[in-house]
Amino acid sequence: MNENPADLAPELCVLIAAVLGLVNGLFLPRARQWWVAGVCAAGLLAGLVVAGLAATRPDLAAFDAFAIDPITHVTRIAVLATTAAVIALAAATVRGHPRETEFYVLTMLSALGAITLGASSDLLVLVAAYLLASIPAYALAGFGKDAPGTEAALKYYLMGAFLGILMLAGATLLYGVGRGTAYGPLRDGLGTAPAAAVGAAVVALLAGLLFKAGAVPGHYWVPDVAEGAPPVVAAFATTVPKIGAFAALLRFGADALPPGTFDWAPLVAVVAAATMTLGNLAAFGQDNVRRLLAYSTVSQAGYLLVPVAMAARGDLAEPALLYYAAAYAVTNLGAFAVVVAVGRDDLDGYTGLLRASPLLGASLAVCLLGLVGTPPTAVFVGKVLMFGAALDGHYAWLAVLAAVNSVASVFYYLRWIVPTFGKPRPGLRPARAPTAIAVALAAASLALGLASGIALSL
Amino acid sequence: MIWALVATPLLAGGALLLCGRRADRYAPRAGVAVAAAVLALAVAAAAVRPRARFRFLPGWDSGLAVDGLSAAMAVTVAAITLAVLLYAAAGREHERAGVRVGVGDNGGGGEGEVREARFFGLMLVFAGAMLVAVTATDLVLLLMGWEVMGAMSYALIGYWWADGGRVRAAGVAFLTTRAGDLGLYAAAGLAVAGTAVAGTGAAGAGAAGAADGGAGPGAGALLLGGLAGTGEPWRDLVAAGIVVAALGKSAQLPFSFWLSRAMAGPSPVSALLHSATMVAAGAYLLLRLRPLLDATGWAGPLVAWAGALTALLLGAVALAQTDLKQLLAASTCAQIGFMVLGAGTGAVAGGTAHLVAHAAVKSLLFLCAGAWLAVLGTKDLDGLRGAARRHPVVGVAFAAGALALAGLPPLSLWITKDSVLAAARDVSPALYVLGLAASVLSSAYAAKALLAVWRPAPEPAPEPAHKPEPEPGASSGERVGALRVLPLPVLAVAACALGVLGLPGVAGPWRRALGVPGEHGPDASELAVSGVLAAATLAAVVAFAGRRTAPIASAWAFGWLGLERAVDVVVVRPVFGAARVLAAFDDRVVHGCVRGVARAGPWAAGLAARRVEVRVDGLVAAVGRGARRLAVLARRPQTGQVHTYYAQAAVLLAALVLIAVLIG
Repeated sequence: MNENPADLAPELCVLIAAVLGLVNGLFLPRARQWWVAGVCAAGLLAGLVVAGLAATRPDLAAFDAFAIDPITHVTRIAVLATTAAVIALAAATVRGHPRETEFYVLTMLSALGAITLGASSDLLVLVAAYLLASIPAYALAGFGKDAPGTEAALKYYLMGAFLGILMLAGATLLYGVGRGTAYGPLRDGLGTAPAAAVGAAVVALLAGLLFKAGAVPGHYWVPDVAEGAPPVVAAFATTVPKIGAFAALLRFGADALPPGTFDWAPLVAVVAAATMTLGNLAAFGQDNVRRLLAYSTVSQAGYLLVPVAMAARGDLAEPALLYYAAAYAVTNLGAFAVVVAVGRDDLDGYTGLLRASPLLGASLAVCLLGLVGTPPTAVFVGKVLMFGAALDGHYAWLAVLAAVNSVASVFYYLRWIVPTFGKPRPGLRPARAPTAIAVALAAASLALGLASGIALSL
Repeated sequence: MIWALVATPLLAGGALLLCGRRADRYAPRAGVAVAAAVLALAVAAAAVRPRARFRFLPGWDSGLAVDGLSAAMAVTVAAITLAVLLYAAAGREHERAGVRVGVGDNGGGGEGEVREARFFGLMLVFAGAMLVAVTATDLVLLLMGWEVMGAMSYALIGYWWADGGRVRAAGVAFLTTRAGDLGLYAAAGLAVAGTAVAGTGAAGAGAAGAADGGAGPGAGALLLGGLAGTGEPWRDLVAAGIVVAALGKSAQLPFSFWLSRAMAGPSPVSALLHSATMVAAGAYLLLRLRPLLDATGWAGPLVAWAGALTALLLGAVALAQTDLKQLLAASTCAQIGFMVLGAGTGAVAGGTAHLVAHAAVKSLLFLCAGAWLAVLGTKDLDGLRGAARRHPVVGVAFAAGALALAGLPPLSLWITKDSVLAAARDVSPALYVLGLAASVLSSAYAAKALLAVWRPAPEPAPEPAHKPEPEPGASSGERVGALRVLPLPVLAVAACALGVLGLPGVAGPWRRALGVPGEHGPDASELAVSGVLAAATLAAVVAFAGRRTAPIASAWAFGWLGLERAVDVVVVRPVFGAARVLAAFDDRVVHGCVRGVARAGPWAAGLAARRVEVRVDGLVAAVGRGARRLAVLARRPQTGQVHTYYAQAAVLLAALVLIAVLIG
C-alpha cells in the first residue's frame, strides 16, 4: 500500500495555507488581514504547481483511498484555479470585513473538500470529503449575517444534512451488500449482491452527490443560496464544489459499479434530463440575475450529468466531463464576477453595460454565450464532447434533449445580454478589481476554447 | 547580326515613342540615322545570311533567319524606310523648332508634316516588326511581327487623331486586316493541332523541320518550312488560314477596300506601309509558303485567280479615280495582284522581283504625291494640272515611276510583270489573258496620272477650288524643299533599273538566291507583246486625253467596286443586327428572367407571409406559450419552504429508487 504523503502535496499545500492563514488571522489587525488572502493565494499557487507536476507522473493510488489519475489532476487544477479566482474576487469585496480571515479559510477548506471529493476512491473518504466540502460552505452562505444570508445558510444546511444522511445510509448499505468501501473491492462484491438493494443504495448515495452537484432532486438550495448569500459565496458554492462532485460521480459510476448487475446509465440519464429541463424552464422568467444564474447552473449540471451517465460506456465520457467541468467552472465564475462587479441583482441594472464598461459588457456576453455553447468558447468544446459521449453511448435521445435545451437556454441568456446594448443609466459604475477578474475569466474561457486541441491532448 | 537587324529599329522606335514630345527636336535626325544603320545591317545580313534558332515557346522551335527571299525583303524594307524617313525628316526644316505640327487644324502650321518623335518611333517600330515578319522561320514569330505591323498601321493611318474621319478610316483598315489575320491565328492553332492529333503529321513536320535545321519531331510543327508536311486534313485548313490572312494583308479581293481608307494617313505612311512593305507582306507570305500551296493542290490556283482578278478589277478602279492617292492605292492592289498571281502560279523569282521593283516604284510615286500635296494642298487630279511643270524634279521622278508602272519597256515592271505572266501562261491561258488585260489597265491608269500632272495648267493657274481631303495645314505656292527631293531620284533610278532582276544575266543568280533555279523567264514574244501593249495604251490615252478628260469609268469602279458597301451589307450590318437581336434577347429574356425571379421572390414571400407564415407563426407562438406555461410550472416547486423541499426530494428519490430497482 502506497502511503507516501508527498503524493497528496497539492492537498497539503491547501491545508497548510488554510491553517497558516487561520493562525495568522488570529493575530493580525483587521486592517492587515489581507495578508491571509496572500497566504491562501500562495498556497493555491503552490498547489497548482505541484498538481501540474504530479499530472506528468503515472497514475497511482495513495492510502488505498485516494486515486491520483487524470480525473484527480483535472479536478485539482480546476478547483485550485477557480478557488484562486474566488479568493481574488473576495479580496476585493470583503477587504476590512471583521471576519475576513474566516472567509478565506472556509473557502480554502471547502475547496480542499471538493478536491478530495473528486479524488476519493473509497466511500468513507467520499463521505468525509462531502462533509468537508459542505460544512464550510454552509458557514460561508451565512457570512453576511443578514436575513437572506441566514435563510440561505439554513436552507443550504438543512438540505445538505438531509441528503448527507441519505448518502451515509447509501454508503452503509453498499458496504453491507458489497462487503467493502473501497471502489475496487466494492466492484467485486456488488457483482453478486441483490440488484434492488444495490439500486436503493446507489440512489441514496447519489442523493448526497447530486446535492453537491446541484442537480435534481438536490437542487433546491441552489437558487436560494445564490440569491441570499453574498455574491462571492454564491459564485463559489455554485462552481467549485460541483467540480469535485461531478468527478466523484464519474469515478463512482466508472469504478465502483460492476458491469452487468446494475445499469447506472439510464438512472443518471433520467436525472440529467430532468435537471437540464427543469433548470432551463425555471430560468425563463427570472428577473433576478443571481437566481437566473443559479437555474442556469442547474441546467449546466444536467448537461454535465450526461457524460457521467456514460461513465462506463465509451472513452469519450471522461474527457467530455473533465473538459466541460473545467470550462463550466471558468465561465460560470466569470458571469458571477460580472455580477459582483456591477453589484446589481435585477436585469434592469445591466441596461447599457456594454457602453458604460465595454470590457465588462463584452465579458458578460462572452460568458453567457459561452454557457449557451457558442463557438469558440470553452463550453462549446465541452458540449460537443458531451454530445459525442451521448451518441457514443447510444443515448441519442439524451443528446437531442440536451440540444433542444441548449437552444431554449438562448432565450434567457439573451434576456440578459440584449439590455446591455441599451443606453446606460446613471450610476452604473462597475467596481474595478472584479471587472479585471471577470475580463480575465472571460478571456480564459475563450482561450481554453481556442486552445481546446492542446488542452485535450494533455 | 540578325538580332541587331530586328532589334535596332524596334528598340530605337520604342525609345522614341517613350520619350514623346521631348525627343521631337532630335527625332528626325535620329530616325534617319537608325534607318541608315538598319539598311547597312540589312545589306550585310543579305551577304552573310545569319540565322538564329531558339525556343520562344517551350517545346516549339522558333527562329530568325535570312535566306534569299528574306534578304530581298529585308533590304527592300530597309531601303524604302530610309528613303521615306529621309523625305519626312526633310520637310520644313525652318519650322522645326517653332510651330507645333498641325494636328487636324486645316488652317496653318505644319502643313501635314510629320516630324514628331511619335511618327519616327511608330515608323521604326513598324520597320522592325516587318523585319521580324520577313525573317521569322516559324508561325509564332511571324504572327508577332504581323500583329505589330497591323497595330502600327492603325496608329499611323490615324496619325492625325484629332480628325475623327481619319481615325474611323484607321479603324476600318485595322478591323479588316485583323479579320484576315484571324486566318493566321487559325493556321498556327491548326498546325499545332495537326501535330498533336496526327502522329504521321508530326513525323512529316519533324522531317521538314529537320530539313530546315529544326529539332526533333513535333517541336518543328510551327516552322514555316514544315507547314507543307502537316497531316492531311490539317494541311488544307492551315493553307486556308494562311491564304485568308495573306489576301487580307495584301488588300486583295475581297478585302481591297481598306487600302482606300488607309489613304487617310500621311503620305510617307502610304509610301512605306501601303505601297511597298506592309501590303506586300501578304504576297511575301504566299511566296514563302509556295510549298504549302503546292502541297494542297487547290490553294495555288485559288490564289492565282484571286491575284489576277484583283489586278484586273482594281486596275479598273484605279483608272476610275480622280484622286491621285486613291489612284495609287488601287494600283497598288492591282500590282500586288500580279505578285499574288506569281505566288499562285509558282513564279517565285518573278513575283519577288515584281515586289521589289514595285516597292521602289510605288513609294516613289507616293512620295511625289505627298510632295505635291504638301506644297499645292491637293491630290485631286484636276487640281494637280501643271504640277510637274512647276516642280520639274518631282515631275521627272514621277514620270519615271509612272512609266515604270505602265510597264513601258525597258523599265523595271515591264520585265518583272512578264516574268509572272510567263508562269501564269504555263498554268492557264485564261490567267495569262487576264494578266495582259490587267497590264493594259495599269498602263492606262499610269498614263492618266502622268497626263494629269504634266498637262499645262489652264491660264491662269486655277486655285484648287475643290479640296476633297486636304492634309492638315496644307498650304500652296511653295517650292518643294531641296532635301525633300533627295530620295526621289534615287528611287526613280531604282524604279527604272530593278528590271535587271529579270534580265538573263542577273536572273540566274537571283533565282538561285531565292532557291528556285529552275524557274524560267519570259520569252521574247511575251516581252514584245506586253511592251507593245503598254506603249500602245500609253499612246492611246495621251491621244484621246484631249477629247475626253473625264475618266473612262463608272461609278462602280470609282467607288472601289462598292466593296466597302458590300462588306457593310454582308458583314457589318448582319453583325450589328445580330448584336441588336442578342441585346434584345438579353434585355427581354435573360434580364426578364432575372427580373422575373426578383419579382417572384417578393410574391412568394407574400404568399408565404399570408398562408404559411400564419401557421408557422402560430406554431412558434404556441411553443412559446407552452414553454412559458412550463416555465411557470417549473418554478412552482421552488416554494422557499424547506419542508416542501424535503418532501419533494424524498418523493423524487423514492421514484429514482423505483426506477433503479425496475431497471436493475
